[in-house]
Amino acid sequence: MSVEVRNLTKQFGRFPALHGVSLKVESGELVALLGPSGSGKTTLLRIIGGLEFPDSPDSRVFFYGEEVTHVPAHKRRAGFAFQHYALFRHLNVFENIAFGLRVLPFWSRPKESVIRARVEKLLKLIQLETFGNRFPSQLSGGQRQRVALARALAVEPRVLLLDEPFGALDAKVRKELRQWLRRLHQEIHVTTLFVTHDQEEALEVSDRVAILREGRIEQVGTPQEIYDHPATPFVYDFLGHVNVFAGRVRDGAVEIGEGRFAAPATAGQTAAAASAFVRPHDIRVTRQPGGPAAFAARLKHCHAVGPFARLELERLDTRESFTVQLSQEQFQTLQPRPDETVFVELKNVKVFPEDYSI
Amino acid sequence: METANASGLQRCPTSTLQPFRESLNVPALAPFDAVKNLGRHRPTTEPALVRWLLIVLALLFLALFLVLPLLSVFVQALSKGLGFYVRTLDDPLTWSAIKLTLIAAGISVPMNCLFGVAAAWAIAKFDFAGKQVLTALIDLPFSISPVISGFAYVLVFGAQGWLGPWLAARGIQIIFAVPGIVLVTVFVTFPFVARELIPLMQSQGRAEEEAARTLGARGGQMFWRITLPNIKWGLLYGVILCNARAMGEFGAVSVVSGHIAGRTDTLPLHVEFLYNGYDLTGAFAVASMLTLLALVTLALKAWIERKESSLKL
Repeated sequence: MSVEVRNLTKQFGRFPALHGVSLKVESGELVALLGPSGSGKTTLLRIIGGLEFPDSPDSRVFFYGEEVTHVPAHKRRAGFAFQHYALFRHLNVFENIAFGLRVLPFWSRPKESVIRARVEKLLKLIQLETFGNRFPSQLSGGQRQRVALARALAVEPRVLLLDEPFGALDAKVRKELRQWLRRLHQEIHVTTLFVTHDQEEALEVSDRVAILREGRIEQVGTPQEIYDHPATPFVYDFLGHVNVFAGRVRDGAVEIGEGRFAAPATAGQTAAAASAFVRPHDIRVTRQPGGPAAFAARLKHCHAVGPFARLELERLDTRESFTVQLSQEQFQTLQPRPDETVFVELKNVKVFPEDYSI
Repeated sequence: METANASGLQRCPTSTLQPFRESLNVPALAPFDAVKNLGRHRPTTEPALVRWLLIVLALLFLALFLVLPLLSVFVQALSKGLGFYVRTLDDPLTWSAIKLTLIAAGISVPMNCLFGVAAAWAIAKFDFAGKQVLTALIDLPFSISPVISGFAYVLVFGAQGWLGPWLAARGIQIIFAVPGIVLVTVFVTFPFVARELIPLMQSQGRAEEEAARTLGARGGQMFWRITLPNIKWGLLYGVILCNARAMGEFGAVSVVSGHIAGRTDTLPLHVEFLYNGYDLTGAFAVASMLTLLALVTLALKAWIERKESSLKL
């Protein structure tokens, strides 16, 4: 276990940022803290880094079993990369990276030649070997973020904390950088926590994902577990677009309009109103009613640019709208026309009791 | 999704502008015409005649109220020849005034440098109760007449003041002596450094300091290696203005100095002393030194501003 937090509670004025958050991170793991803005993920990261301190006396932070709850940031050896990089604007790239080594107390400070060698190695790692003399203002956003990472790595941190590392970059650079981060992590294997509000980023890069909502951890698991078995409607919704249908649970199935869909998880439940969650790509659209597992809907709008076609439909009975995603091939076979009435079949229906809400 | 948004954005301006165009009775321009016309007729440009009139007016005003008086100082100072000019400046009373001015500025500028950095640091980087009050208090010396601040010091430290008898019993004289002059100079020039640094530090935020902390820097290392280099140009700017005011302050110093020639006269007070004694040329000779100081200050200020803007991220 390399990082463990227990029962973290933090308030800013009257705004509660964290309510009793506990999380364990294994050594060498890459964990994403995922959540919407205001969910407390950055506060959690800053408390681990020692830039904020928890309010409650029973809140605890451990690094490799050693308690660091009240240890200030400069004694924690936790590398931190900030969303807006926070590079030292008056120092060049080389000196930025060397900073953590130069401020070491003189008895443990490496010799100049050692510092030079280590910085050059890091410059190579971030693929900016020839940029040592540049100033931060002369770099692009992606380059700045890489320098910020190298600077944090220079002190050989016990844990690496990244606050929305790609948040301020454009979509293309973002994708490149997160693959680079994945490779970098495989290479150096330092325990890493990173904050993001981008579910795609979290699922693609991390070993495990912790999903936060309003200062609480909603679910922790591998990307696969979280995507396939969301614990709550919130997680379901947050991990990608999802349709919600109002229906009734009865005899291990859920009834939506005139359709009946299998929902094994509800077996044994008494009949009750429920919300059914279905991903847009788990919906089939046909012209003929295919037995009891279908209901009728009206097609409102089609959008067919890109690899997938998106259809907006409306249930005939409740006028609830929902989205369907089709491959271009399916779209071409179906040839849907606006305002036409079609039949809808659902797969992988996930049912939560009605009192849950997103 | 992306494409849908983009086309939505393109549609938007036409539809929102249309009603305005119609109400103004302006024919819709083809996009190309609009670009062509942009160069010749910017909507904010005035006719040439108006522009020239405004420029000439501004220059005339500057010449009459700024350049002419400034020039007259030097013309008057040198009106009896260079020899007389040098002799006036070599006078022991003038020397003592120069010395006192240097002492007052030499003490108050470093003090306010310290106060200013500390106050700006506290206000820009921390949240605490009474922050608003402190920010307002820093401006007090600017908003109060210097003469009043001089009197306030007399009321506190003077012979009949609150602390006067206690100080007198211990043989400490503040009013009508050098300490009083230094104290009021500190008071009057207090805001310069802090005022300059607060917005600068606020705009820089805490992120670089936090980064330094997470990299293992102790408080002092963070200040000397990160904070100070980031504010050095702003600090220098504040110090230069602070120094100019410290050397040129008249009102407050005049109240507490007591005008003892050769002992409690600073340069501005000495100018008044010579002027009242009908030594016009002498007065202007001393005044020319203060004027030169002002010009040097201006030049330095311009240089720093250039330096600062070239370093902005």
